[in-house]
Amino acid sequence: MKDTLIGGSGRAARDTEDTLAAGRTAPANPGPGTDTDATALRRRRRVELTRPWLLLAPALIVLAGLLLWPLVQVGKLSLQDYEVKFGGGVGTFTGFDHYADLLTSGLLWKTVLPNTVFFAVACVGLTIALGTLVALLLNRLGTTWRLICSVAILAAWAMPAVTGTYVWIWLFQPQDGLFSQLAGAAGLIDPETTNWFTERLPFYAIATVNVVHHGFPFVAITVLAGLLTIPKELYEAGMIDGANAWQRFWKITVPTIKPVFLVVTILSTIWDFKVFTQIFVMPGGNGSNPDVYNLGVFSYIEAFAKNDYGAGSAAAVLLTLLLLAITVVYIRTLFRQGEEEL
Amino acid sequence: MTSLATRGPARRIGLGAAVAALLVFTLFPVYWMVSTAFDPKALTRGSDLLPSGVTLDHFQLVFERGNFGTYLLNSAIVGGATILAAAVLSLFAAIAVARFRFRFRTSVLIMILIVQMVPLEALVIPLFIQMRDYEMLNSLLGLSVVYIALSLPFAIWTLRGFVATVPKEVEEAAYIDGASWPRMFWSVLLPLVAPGLVATSIFAFITAWNEFVFAYTFMKGSDKYTAAVGIYQFFGENSTAWGPVMASSTLVTLPVMIFFVVVHRKLGSGLAAGAVKG
Repeated sequence: MKDTLIGGSGRAARDTEDTLAAGRTAPANPGPGTDTDATALRRRRRVELTRPWLLLAPALIVLAGLLLWPLVQVGKLSLQDYEVKFGGGVGTFTGFDHYADLLTSGLLWKTVLPNTVFFAVACVGLTIALGTLVALLLNRLGTTWRLICSVAILAAWAMPAVTGTYVWIWLFQPQDGLFSQLAGAAGLIDPETTNWFTERLPFYAIATVNVVHHGFPFVAITVLAGLLTIPKELYEAGMIDGANAWQRFWKITVPTIKPVFLVVTILSTIWDFKVFTQIFVMPGGNGSNPDVYNLGVFSYIEAFAKNDYGAGSAAAVLLTLLLLAITVVYIRTLFRQGEEEL
Repeated sequence: MTSLATRGPARRIGLGAAVAALLVFTLFPVYWMVSTAFDPKALTRGSDLLPSGVTLDHFQLVFERGNFGTYLLNSAIVGGATILAAAVLSLFAAIAVARFRFRFRTSVLIMILIVQMVPLEALVIPLFIQMRDYEMLNSLLGLSVVYIALSLPFAIWTLRGFVATVPKEVEEAAYIDGASWPRMFWSVLLPLVAPGLVATSIFAFITAWNEFVFAYTFMKGSDKYTAAVGIYQFFGENSTAWGPVMASSTLVTLPVMIFFVVVHRKLGSGLAAGAVKG
């Protein structure tokens, strides 16, 4: 480090003066009340006030322009009939018509919302259960096997959503897919006529396997980190008291690392509500089969396939509000447990 | 933990079976993808666990007829631009929130946490219209700008932790040696947070590399497809050539997998606060 300090850029000499004035003159110079002291102090204050904002400015501008402003826009679009005309789009204010249409449509209540909610609940439940079981397993393994299993889990986590979904489609492909052939050989289905992707339940069952496969590693690794912080004495005391493994898990593990479970549950809920790609690239998921719409896909199809940007935006706003509500719970949880020192 | 476990043979068998089940569940899809990619009779392999042979035909096909080289290059360009911009912007922002105490600091952090929960489906409609107005559709630059924004919240949140672990005393020592703030940043802080910066940047790259919704919506000319969208084109309406699809999927997946396994350890607890999934 010293080397890097010595061999430096030409800017250093010029800047040194600046720092001396800004940071060090005041404490180095014991004489109080002189003019230079006051200027230096004022200057230091100013630097302390402006520097963090200067550092933050580029990132905040990008976030505001590309994440916050579009959110305002999508709210505005949801109150308009937006048409693409020659040379640009024209919006006509329609008030809450799109919301009224959306909230009174049978498709929303009979298909879109049930698909979204039941799918998310199934995914979260299975992800947490499997993740916790795997964490408990990893906790019992020796170093070598724990490393092997961790790498395997990371590989599942790293599988991109798009390619991961393709593999699951291929595995369940009618006729040729591995599971279609196995189920056909076992006499469970007729592989010539069965297509698992055309009906809602099998479609979402496959999507659930896909999302759980992609999502449980995060839970397993986070819960394992929590398990490692639990003092062994607690379990020894539990065993002396005659508690079996099941009781030790529910009476010791769960209460001790409850905050970890809360965080992984809420984060999984947020992620699983907004699953889009894994549904969209599945056969029929891109709009050709309305039975399998979830809220995200529904919004996308309305906007980009039917060119009804207003209606699509209204559905998108609904999804955003849902997620925002869960996010508020998440942030309150973080604060209450004081784990995140902001 | 071993001291607690009564190590009977039954327990050992149970443990072994659980490990085997875990390895099969996590790795089988990866194995099936790679083995199909090399299988000369990919489409008719059915339930044969081993491929019928090894061939590079599918890879050759996706490059020669599928234009996959262009798609991979597009993905690499977009990913590279995202890395550079996200690394610089997030490092500055992370230093601001980790090193300075200022008004609205907590509000800024909470805002960053909230914006990363926003669903992409809600952003894609207004951003599509915005980009069309600026004539940035079908442009790699337009796509990169979106990915920079998408990767920033997680990058800031994670880097914040890395900056905070650099002891303040090291910075103060630099000041005492007469260094200015920019000089201190360049010679002291940057080298110390470099490992974190690399790990975070790789995550920004993965975000851009994997992303589907925006690339699919924005890129309408097939010469501008990214790899993730490019594979989608190999799907037929009624029949799909699974050999080429799995070959291109392998090309997209393996770099990400290797990067991910390598950098994961470095990111540690930052993952708990950030949303890594797309």
